[in-house]
Amino acid sequence: MKSAPKILIIDDEEIVLDSCSHILKGSGYQIVTAHDGMTGVETMKQENPDLIFVDLKMPGISGLEVLAKIQEYDATIVPIVITGFATVSSAVEAMKMGAYDFLPKPFTPDEMRLIARRAIDKRNLVLETIRLRKEKELLREQFAAIVSHELKSPLGAVQQSLFGLSSDLADSLSEEQKNKILRLQSRIADLIKLVNTWLRAISVDISTIRENFGPTSIVDTISKAIESVQQHAVRKDITIKTSIKEPLGIINGNEVTLVEALVNIIGNAVKYTQMGGLITIVAQKYKDEILVEIKDNGVGISTDDLPHIFDDFYVGKASSGDERRSGVGLAITKRIVEAHDGSITVDSEVGRGSTFTLHLPVLKQENKINQ
Amino acid sequence: MENTKLLIIDDDPDYVDGIKSILVKAKYHVDAAYNPKDGLAALKSGGYDLLLLDIMMGRGAEGVMVARKINKDPKLRDIPVLIITGIREQMAFLFPGQPVHPHLLPTDALLEKPVEPGVLLEKVEALLKEAAGKKSKGA
Repeated sequence: MKSAPKILIIDDEEIVLDSCSHILKGSGYQIVTAHDGMTGVETMKQENPDLIFVDLKMPGISGLEVLAKIQEYDATIVPIVITGFATVSSAVEAMKMGAYDFLPKPFTPDEMRLIARRAIDKRNLVLETIRLRKEKELLREQFAAIVSHELKSPLGAVQQSLFGLSSDLADSLSEEQKNKILRLQSRIADLIKLVNTWLRAISVDISTIRENFGPTSIVDTISKAIESVQQHAVRKDITIKTSIKEPLGIINGNEVTLVEALVNIIGNAVKYTQMGGLITIVAQKYKDEILVEIKDNGVGISTDDLPHIFDDFYVGKASSGDERRSGVGLAITKRIVEAHDGSITVDSEVGRGSTFTLHLPVLKQENKINQ
Repeated sequence: MENTKLLIIDDDPDYVDGIKSILVKAKYHVDAAYNPKDGLAALKSGGYDLLLLDIMMGRGAEGVMVARKINKDPKLRDIPVLIITGIREQMAFLFPGQPVHPHLLPTDALLEKPVEPGVLLEKVEALLKEAAGKKSKGA
């Protein structure tokens, strides 16, 4: 059972402490009091109240300083300022310092009870939000563990058995039978790939990407990305044209993840462009940014889908039939680009094609060692 | 190749069978152990040219323990080890998109489960060749 909410009242006037205690006690709160700011802060640390009423004008440290200390100690505690001079400016300043509300003297018991109740509700909501956020984080981690272990391991075992089986039977199977096994293998490979993509989606953690940052060449990144999708492009007779406008400069980043980001975009361009299509990649410096533009003349994205394409697990309606989609590629791409302090924009028209543009900040070279 | 002896240590019989079939087909002699203890005992009994080692066994990464023990034993240290594991994805959490090689042993190589026949045979052959090269140099 949850214990009664605890309220700390800090005021130098004995009569205010007494009457406030009296007003609030009737509503089932636990009340603690302090006569000055310093004692108030100490009491806060011992009692961990849900809510603190603090007088602005007190001898010793002021109410505003107390507010700062509350904020520093536990930002979820709700502070309310009691002020003798109900001036707008002192109230505004108190709110700026993190006060949730203010109570001008003189006040009626009902006014105080109402403010206290609202503040306790606010505190409960804040705590609930924190709890839910933690729970969500935990779920995310557990989901990753479940997906990787409970789903991926058995799938892998099935695949390994199929590999073994086809080795065992290599000499005795007809072509048609071998084909069937190959098809089984290919479907399971797709599933494993999907599981891996999901895992990637929930595990791309921006803070860990940043740990591997260093000077990175966009030109290299682009050519590596093209290399990895080239095969698919050739199969669909799609031409990928690249135009680098030097001098381009370099960025502070992580090549592996940037390649992944580009592969997702160029890969999509290949997926959503018809046979014989054209993809143009242009990289150029503009002010303090390197712009990488990936333009295709494919199917385009409908205006309904456009606002959602960077959402996790979103799969658009306008997709070309049999292409397999997990709906996480662009979400990951966005996270990677944002980790590089960059942004990504998209412009698209159904039937005409799409243009994705990456904006990445140029690395300012303070020591020009190479020159 | 029929005189080449390989040992698999993996607690998942499906993986053991699947991998074994591929290697037997390629005319290797293959033994299997289903836990680290039996595996180490088999390895010590001698005669193996290569070890295929799973990492996630039993209650956790018990394969890492096996690798450490091999590394400490001067008699076993030179046996090439091919780590075959599904763990890479999990370790890759730290470095998305980047293959993570744990480098548990000086001789090891790493493949991710499930491993395709062609890739498996290629890697096994390369490791054996490398080990043979070292041996002849040392002699």
